[in-house]
Amino acid sequence: MILRTKYTKVGYLKYLSHLDMVRLFTRTFSKVGIPIKFSDGYNPHPKFSIGNPLPLGTESLAEYMDVELTEWIEPADFAKRINEALPEGIKITSCWETEKGASLTSMIAWSHYEIRFRTKNTDQASEFEDSLDRWDKLSEVFITKKKKKGKIKVDRQVDIIPLIGNIIYKGIDEDGFHIVNAFLRTGETGNLKPIELVGAIDRELQLDIDLDMVLIKRLDVLADENGEIKELA
Amino acid sequence: MQGVILPERQANNRKVNGMINKYKLDKILMKVEKPSRYIGMEQNMVQKNPEQLDVRFAFSFPDVYEVGMSHLGMHILYNLINNEPQYSCERVFAPWVDMEEQIRKESIPLFTLESKEEVKNFDLLGFTLQYEMSYTNILNILDLAEIPLLSKDRDEDFPLVIAGGPCAYNPEPLWEFIDLFVIGEGEEVTLELMRVYNKHKRQGYNKAKFLEEVQKTMQGIYVPSLYDVNYNEDGTINERFSLIENIPQIIEKRMIRDLDSMFSPEKMIVPYMETVHDRISMELFRGCTHGCRFCQAGMIYRPIREKSVDRLMELAEKLVDSTGYENISLSSLSSCDYSQLHLLISSLMDKFEDKKVGVSLPSLRLDSVSIDILKEIEKVRKSGLTFAPEAGSQRLRDVVNKGVDENDLVNAVGYAFKEGWSRIKLYFMIGLPTETDEDVLGIKDLAYLVKDLFFNRPPEERKGNFQVTASASCFVPKPFTPFQWQGQDTIENFHHKINLVKKEIRDNKVSFNYHDPRVSFMEAIVARGDRRISKLILRAWEKGSRFDGWSEHFKYEIWLEAMEELEIDGSFYANRNREFTENLPWDFINPGPSKKYLISEYTKAIKGETTRDCRLGCTGCGIEDCAMWGVFN
Ligand code: SF4
Repeated sequence: MILRTKYTKVGYLKYLSHLDMVRLFTRTFSKVGIPIKFSDGYNPHPKFSIGNPLPLGTESLAEYMDVELTEWIEPADFAKRINEALPEGIKITSCWETEKGASLTSMIAWSHYEIRFRTKNTDQASEFEDSLDRWDKLSEVFITKKKKKGKIKVDRQVDIIPLIGNIIYKGIDEDGFHIVNAFLRTGETGNLKPIELVGAIDRELQLDIDLDMVLIKRLDVLADENGEIKELA
Repeated sequence: MQGVILPERQANNRKVNGMINKYKLDKILMKVEKPSRYIGMEQNMVQKNPEQLDVRFAFSFPDVYEVGMSHLGMHILYNLINNEPQYSCERVFAPWVDMEEQIRKESIPLFTLESKEEVKNFDLLGFTLQYEMSYTNILNILDLAEIPLLSKDRDEDFPLVIAGGPCAYNPEPLWEFIDLFVIGEGEEVTLELMRVYNKHKRQGYNKAKFLEEVQKTMQGIYVPSLYDVNYNEDGTINERFSLIENIPQIIEKRMIRDLDSMFSPEKMIVPYMETVHDRISMELFRGCTHGCRFCQAGMIYRPIREKSVDRLMELAEKLVDSTGYENISLSSLSSCDYSQLHLLISSLMDKFEDKKVGVSLPSLRLDSVSIDILKEIEKVRKSGLTFAPEAGSQRLRDVVNKGVDENDLVNAVGYAFKEGWSRIKLYFMIGLPTETDEDVLGIKDLAYLVKDLFFNRPPEERKGNFQVTASASCFVPKPFTPFQWQGQDTIENFHHKINLVKKEIRDNKVSFNYHDPRVSFMEAIVARGDRRISKLILRAWEKGSRFDGWSEHFKYEIWLEAMEELEIDGSFYANRNREFTENLPWDFINPGPSKKYLISEYTKAIKGETTRDCRLGCTGCGIEDCAMWGVFN
């Protein structure tokens, strides 16, 4: 049986690395006695895969993991038992049975982010919204991406406008951070990182954004089925 | 402020909420290599409401997180204090160099992992002293916490800075920085100290009054500012004297008689990141009876005291439940000595069979009993095996009283090969008293002997990929060992001896590695130092020394420059042979074994005479009222 699990990673635990997460889940499964399948071989390890791991320091409400079990178990029961053992900040929000099929990573095509940052030039919500209007009129915005060619990295110019679904301004929070929600392409067929978007906005609109303190939270990841954007099944 | 009379102690109103700015913290955590070193939030971490606490203790292991978290003593003290509802214990480690750079740049005072509160707002800050080369990290931690480095510069507004652990048996090199040392085992005395501190805090804490009271009334406490020392013309110590009346001339160590009724942790914090020691640690007993003459732990933790199998089983069950770890390490000085080892291991294996919890032994003796046990507990994983002959020749092993001979090695290794092990590690020390080139070359001989033992087996019985590694450390004569009077080999001598072995080993199945003699030289200076060495530690830190125990960060030139500037002769501390009559800097501490005994052991050592394991009959080490007498004699 394969269980597809959606979970959160928020608060200070956003600083756990992919390896830390693997260790945490491995320990948690064995602690609560989940009948997880182990790989064959000399050094057997539990079979689960985390889709599209986040860069260190990004919060998420939408992490996905596929877990292979040796016995059938009620998904809700699985979530409940695991959640009791997981730390605050990492909790399963939903889980369901799924078929062996396309890998999580290959399915994910879009990410929805909440991005927060401060600017030196505009501390007014209205001013910032006006600036964003200018952004909406741009037909192309190029950024430099590093691309690996064999062993050396080469710079490559990429137009990011096609990688952006939408950008919506949400206002200013109590600590003076502008909040922007954005749909961005994620995955092998096109990828735009939130920090790259913020860098481009900063450059194009000359907002003097504090790029050292950009707080990012992934709200959801979505699949693209022949042009139709869908929840992961 | 003119005319306003401040209450005697502002620190009584010490800020309860001095939490550091979380955005600044985010900013720097984004930039460091391993941010999970600094976030806490692990399973079994304890966080309490500061409003309901009387005394708050910040506990520091002065090295990086993953090293500190692998230390059993930290887990003991942490849970011991947090077990008391009115006290709390939080952790602070040495920030790695990338983190130090960031927190200095952003001016974030060093904070604890639990509440992210500034260390300087705590009542007590306690360091554990496990290794002399971590001392510059202590100064760095104080500085990053914005706490004055010198005890005399800290008034009631700052935490009381205390220290304990094995290196506290020679506290003098840190005397200027630490307000109070705890000598010996900390379980009882830590809570006693906090109780007295709390009493003073209620009455208006005055640092000097508090220090005087505990020095006068509590065993195992040393307040260096209440004593002074003067020196002879040749630089040795003339006398020590007290600066106030009614304080002890000799500081007796603290020791817990009954380990079963003592506090033992039932929980351990489980780190997210990989640490040096990723498993449950369970202490079987304290002390050691072998009497190896180079070993400080073997002397200062005497006599041996065991926990019962029942108690250990009870603890193991709780620890497995609370951590989810799948391995229990039975850690003690020489774990195979535990009198009920077979019973304990089979009980553990039975109990946890279905939970797949394994058992491991960190230290092995060179005998078939040890291998037998090992065979039982490591049924699948035949990883490397480590033995410690310590010296290359039998003569020298007798000098250091390491009670093993070549036969033991041959038997143990032969047995290990038969059982499927193929990688062997041998630990040696070079620079032991009376050592000759011939003794040193014995290291090579033993390594080759192990190789021959493997390849002399019929080909069909050779399992795995054979490798033997001989690893040599440079001997540091430590206080409270029979070799405390012995001068250390010079750096040149160490290199000469290392090269002898290096030249002789020409075989890709046999490898040889060794410690940097310069680090061991500095370690000897500090370990054998007196009060004047505190200036050297301070100067080295000012010049940028940090993480001196990490080869990539150890900067010998800094220490050399610092010694030159302060006119400190390193060889006076490290290489000089001392007279039995000399006043040693640590003589005012009583660790149990008497000086008379250490002298007789040293004399026997030079003659190559051995001393038996004292479980076979007391050898008269001088401990009064020894807990072992009733058990073994
Ligand atoms: S007093 Fe005797 S039995 Fe006790 S530790 Fe010393 S030598 Fe061993």
